[in-house]
Amino acid sequence: MKLSWAGPATGWQRTISLRTRLTLAFAVGALLLSASLASLTYELARSYLLRQRETSALRQTYVNARLVKITLGSADTDIPRLLASVELPARSTPILRRGQTWFAASSTVGRDSLPIALRETVDAGGAARQLVRLGGVPQFVVGIPLPAVDGAYFEVFQLVELDRTLRILLNSSIAAALITTLAGATMGRWASRRVLSPVSAVSAAAAAVASGRFDVRLEESGDPELSRMAISFNQMTEALLTRIRRDARFASDVSHELRSPLTTLAAALAVVSSRREEMPERARTGIDLLGAEIGRFERLVENLLEISRLDAGVEELVVEDISFVQFVVEAARTGPDPDLAVEIGPGAGDAVVSADKRRLERVLANLADNARRHGGGVARLVVERDGDWAGFAVEDSGPGVPPDERDKVFDRFFRGRAAGMRGAGEGSGLGLALVREHVTLHGGRVWVEEREGGGARFVVRLPVVT
Amino acid sequence: MGSRILIVEDDARIRLSLQLVLEDEGHTVELAESAEAGIEALALRPVDVVLVDLMLPGMDGFELCRRLRSSSDVPILILTARSDSHDVVAGLEAGADDYMVKPAVPKELSARIRALLRRATRSESGPTRPVFGDIEVFPDAGTVRVGGAEVSLTKTEFKLLCELAQNPGRLLSRELLLDKVWGYGYFGDGRLVDVHIRRLRTKVEKDPTHPRHIVTVRGLGYKLEP
Repeated sequence: MKLSWAGPATGWQRTISLRTRLTLAFAVGALLLSASLASLTYELARSYLLRQRETSALRQTYVNARLVKITLGSADTDIPRLLASVELPARSTPILRRGQTWFAASSTVGRDSLPIALRETVDAGGAARQLVRLGGVPQFVVGIPLPAVDGAYFEVFQLVELDRTLRILLNSSIAAALITTLAGATMGRWASRRVLSPVSAVSAAAAAVASGRFDVRLEESGDPELSRMAISFNQMTEALLTRIRRDARFASDVSHELRSPLTTLAAALAVVSSRREEMPERARTGIDLLGAEIGRFERLVENLLEISRLDAGVEELVVEDISFVQFVVEAARTGPDPDLAVEIGPGAGDAVVSADKRRLERVLANLADNARRHGGGVARLVVERDGDWAGFAVEDSGPGVPPDERDKVFDRFFRGRAAGMRGAGEGSGLGLALVREHVTLHGGRVWVEEREGGGARFVVRLPVVT
Repeated sequence: MGSRILIVEDDARIRLSLQLVLEDEGHTVELAESAEAGIEALALRPVDVVLVDLMLPGMDGFELCRRLRSSSDVPILILTARSDSHDVVAGLEAGADDYMVKPAVPKELSARIRALLRRATRSESGPTRPVFGDIEVFPDAGTVRVGGAEVSLTKTEFKLLCELAQNPGRLLSRELLLDKVWGYGYFGDGRLVDVHIRRLRTKVEKDPTHPRHIVTVRGLGYKLEP
């Protein structure tokens, strides 16, 4: 059963991490908010400034128009002088139509600067005003008909200052919006980290539990929501631990119960075996069979016990810094084949590893045992150094392990295709599984590869201290 | 040369089979099916080695070791079905000299018993009489005096102290001590040394938690400071 996080995840939810999504949400929120604030401010400021400018321009134009009308009505007037004398703010131009003649105080602005619609309105006898953009500059045009003198008076105001002010306002609004968006994203990032930190804690704890550390617990104090999650998590771990312990204890109890009869069997066998020479041929064969099976049974019980303790996580490592070469040499000397030569590879001589040597000895013994069972004995035992790793390789000259079985040989009770041929029936089926468990517990790796010239090569690598 | 061995074991079949094995080795074997019976048998006639199963009905093996230790330095070998650190260390702390995990391989059992017997025979050292502070070791007599008063050490503790005393100021690794005292090689259980050193300290050091003479060299071993 799979419980989902608050409903089914859609495609993009699955590809973008929660943290990124939160950050994005904050950023988008900040952007929307700041952009609307900025545009609102801009619009308000713009319309206010524009209206102010319009009002003053209108007032000015009416005043000037009246002046022009009076001047024109009184006598023959020098119109260009009249226009030049009109009081106007900078960058504003008066334009006058008298009959069909146009007069302008500027050479760049004239009749053609006036929008046609505006001119028509004025010709029809109505005052008009219009905002136009000419040559990239906003201009405010006001026209007033002067029917008394058969003319019309216009003023064109170039709103350069206003335009610059608005432009600055626009730019700073955009900048403010951007900064706010960035701040929003940063806050989103920070908030997501804050919000997700319990999630990180839970995932770290779960990973620790998955790797076998059942003593990990979450802090149950603090926020009520989080504390509820922590309590559930801790209960789950506790339940898991209880269950694993119970299973492991069962296996361990079974093995212990088997140890007592095994003691009797082994002792009785020793008593009978010491009289082997006095026995008839057939009885000897029987005793040998009995001995072999009792030996196998013993190994099976020992290995089962060992693996159940590893499963329960109750086995503690007794680590010490050991000279790796000395260890391998001693292990080979005390093993079943004391004459086995240990080769020392380049750079391996002074490697020191931090290890539980009794367990590591089991690793080597199990690999040697495996070579004896399936590979016709250990052909070569090499101590090797590989950068920050030290290790050994146990080689045999047997049939080797097929590539597709190289991972599986370390599984419990794995029987290979060639098992029957290789006489695997004698093994406990747990030897290599234990090798992997022990090596992993030491932070190392173990694998099998093909030996040059045929055979299997089991390689163990452990991190070195020096 | 045969020795007298007492087997305290509640499982009749194990008792009988071990008896057969040890008799084959030339030892004389006495049997007890409980701790109480073992104490009675010992009171009747002393033995050279006691083999104790830790899981006994009634008084358990740990208690038996403690009782035996209060009155005797007879070598004790414990047999346990549990190799957990707890049982082994508790057994050693109760006074056992060595341990074996079931199923006890007969060959290994014989070797352990031989090693225990060897230790029990008087020390081979010369007439030197090392003195460390108020600790005096008498190798010939097999006795130790602390502040002039004789303290009773088991054979194993005494042997361990002699090994340290013969090399004053020198670091002795656990492996070396295991080899010299117990006859184990490189892969012997270092806890044997640790527990015996602890026991030794409580007997000869004024303040066992802050030893002055038998000092630990972390991660390496022990040495005796004069």
